[in-house]
Amino acid sequence: MIFGAKANEREVTNFRTKLAIAIMLVISGVTGLGIYLGQARVNANAERDLRQKFQAELSGLDKLQELRNAALAERCRVLAEKPRIHAALEDNALDLLYPSAKDELHDLIEGGSDSPDPSVGFLHARFCRFLDGNGAVLSPSHPKDVGELSLKTEAQLALKTLPEKQQIGYLTEDVDLADETVDEVIAVPIFSTETGEVISALVVGFKPFEIASKRAGVEVKSGIWAGRRLHMPSLPKAAQTILNNEISNALSKAKRAKNSFTVTIQEVPQLLFYRRLNPGSLFPPAYEICVYSLVDSIAQQQRLRWQFGGVGALLLLGGFVASHFVAVRFAKPVEQLALDSERNRAQRKQAEAELISASEKLKRSTRYSADASHQLKSPLTVLRAGLETLLAHEDFKPEIYEELSTLLHQTHRLSGVIEDLLLLARLDAGHLQIQSEPVNLSQLVEEWLDDLNALPDSPDVEIQKEVPPDLYVAGAKRYISLIVQNLLENARKYNRKGGRIRVAAQRNESVIRLTVGNAGQPIARDAQEHIFDRFRRAATGATVSGHGLGLNLARELARLHGGDLRLVRSADDWTEFELHLRVAQPVVEHTS
Amino acid sequence: MRLCEFISFNAIFISLSVSVSGQAVVEGKVALPKLHSAPVMAKRYEIVTHGGILSTEPPLAVVYLEGSFPKRTSLPIKQITQRNFAFVPALLPVQVGTRIEFPNLDDTYHSIFSYSPAKRFDLGRYRPDERPIPSEVFDLPGLVTLRCDIHEHMRGLILVLNTPYFVVTDPDGRFRLSGLPSGRYVLKAWINSKTTREQPVELKNGGTISVDFP
Repeated sequence: MIFGAKANEREVTNFRTKLAIAIMLVISGVTGLGIYLGQARVNANAERDLRQKFQAELSGLDKLQELRNAALAERCRVLAEKPRIHAALEDNALDLLYPSAKDELHDLIEGGSDSPDPSVGFLHARFCRFLDGNGAVLSPSHPKDVGELSLKTEAQLALKTLPEKQQIGYLTEDVDLADETVDEVIAVPIFSTETGEVISALVVGFKPFEIASKRAGVEVKSGIWAGRRLHMPSLPKAAQTILNNEISNALSKAKRAKNSFTVTIQEVPQLLFYRRLNPGSLFPPAYEICVYSLVDSIAQQQRLRWQFGGVGALLLLGGFVASHFVAVRFAKPVEQLALDSERNRAQRKQAEAELISASEKLKRSTRYSADASHQLKSPLTVLRAGLETLLAHEDFKPEIYEELSTLLHQTHRLSGVIEDLLLLARLDAGHLQIQSEPVNLSQLVEEWLDDLNALPDSPDVEIQKEVPPDLYVAGAKRYISLIVQNLLENARKYNRKGGRIRVAAQRNESVIRLTVGNAGQPIARDAQEHIFDRFRRAATGATVSGHGLGLNLARELARLHGGDLRLVRSADDWTEFELHLRVAQPVVEHTS
Repeated sequence: MRLCEFISFNAIFISLSVSVSGQAVVEGKVALPKLHSAPVMAKRYEIVTHGGILSTEPPLAVVYLEGSFPKRTSLPIKQITQRNFAFVPALLPVQVGTRIEFPNLDDTYHSIFSYSPAKRFDLGRYRPDERPIPSEVFDLPGLVTLRCDIHEHMRGLILVLNTPYFVVTDPDGRFRLSGLPSGRYVLKAWINSKTTREQPVELKNGGTISVDFP
């Protein structure tokens, strides 16, 4: 029982733990999901913010750049329409081209004298060149007048064909290896006033619009990628080389929908945006490159992650506590249930064990009764058969016959005792099962009274019978008959000479009451209460046959039939028993 | 109208001046290119470019007798005015060595220059009352394109010729050259900057021959 309780306790604890774990798992899952979604959202927001910032800056820049480019293009267009330039080109006076250009561009070309205000310079051209009809560069005889360029740089200005529209290009210029510069060039077609065809192009070089210089405080490094080279002065040379490779790789791939990717420069992750500066240009493609350090963003994300983690941990802790309480609470009835069930089981087991033991006992007793019956009856039969055989002999003396007859009578008596004992044994064991049917009590009484009269040693007694006909009781006929026989035989046996027997029966609702009274010496008062005990007889002398089992058996049988048997009175020369039996429906008897 | 008068006046003037030394006359008609635009009532001769060819609009041609002729000691001074933002006349043939004056008859600046190989010059900006009238001597034969640095659309043509015998046709292409010396020459008709037709002619004193340029 103690072991069982322990196991029980363990099971309950198990259940509680499982419940807690399940709740924890759910809470963890929800928390994790929340953290994941939150983080993803934060990341997406961060990237979007960055992109928007970049786009906003770019668009702001775009407008400035567009304005500037428009201004420059307009100047170039006006320049390309100058009569002197046209005259030089159309009137076969190429030698006058650059001198005329110098003259015309004197306000555009920076020349030798730098303006003291650098902001004025942004509309100033660094150089200008003309392209001939094939797109090749017409080299000036006095490069100083129109901005000096190295031959290599100058060659970059050449186009495969003359443009019909204004073109924008970017060229990297090796001033010296340490510091290369990028120039934005605008190529404007020159249409012949005579033919209307493009006869030349004016290429004017400007300093590119510097992004970084225009924006203080924003940690964006910007540069230009042109001619397969990156120009980003704010980065160290080595980093530029690495970045250049990255960009070249990215740009060489198929057209990317995104215009950004992340790179790691000097072990710092950076978000890189790029944008084509001269879409559709005849000049080689050039890109504006903006690099935004993700350190802050990553730090912010880290911070957020910690915050999320903290919140998640708190949630988990709360969840743990809550789940514990919930589990305990949920487990309580279960615990009670488990306890009850354990108790029930124990009780059931006990009952089962008892039942089994009882059943064993019963089996044993039944077997015993059966065995006893067999063991007792067989020698008795042999004995009786032997006595009867001896009685059949004619050679014995008469007193021997008498003796033999007495012995035979005793064997009959023994046989009755054994029968009664076996019946009682079966009654005690509860093995006696009656098959209830309507039994005609009136008829039974009648028959037994006839039998009594027919007995050879019947005393001279008066029999009063007050039994209405056709009184039916519920029971087995054999046993009811036994009860009636017992009562009537007793009434005869214990009668005095010249006495009387009175048998009366009446129905009282569902009970039939049969009273059997006889005259004779009453039963002693102190013996009255024992007359239903086994092997007890009223000490009336040895003359009365019987073995002290009859009343006991009758009462047991009556009770088995749901009725009873009791002594009503035994005094003043009158002893009366009353038998109660249940009424049966007589209809069945009549019809069958 | 004024232009026509001016041209015919020149032609008459030339023919008169030449008549002293020669007697031959050439007359005929030059087939002029068709008008590129519908003719307008007030005819203004302008130098236009079509397909890289400079010509007058409406078309005019210059017919001249090529050959080597003795140079004259003094040549008359010619004028091309700038009036209503156009050169008048738009096309002027002159003999080599002629000085041409460019009076500005507009109320604004003009800045005449030429990058043509036959004559490069740049008169710079000047106002109508500029005195002396800016002028240039044209001493190389060839076609000179006049431009105005301020008004890019303005064009003028000067055809500098080695010969003193030349004439501008009338709008129909008819011409008459008189006072020509006798002998075998080549008669040329300058139609535009890219097209000059020629015909050999044999001139006799007192004779009038008819030459058409189809």
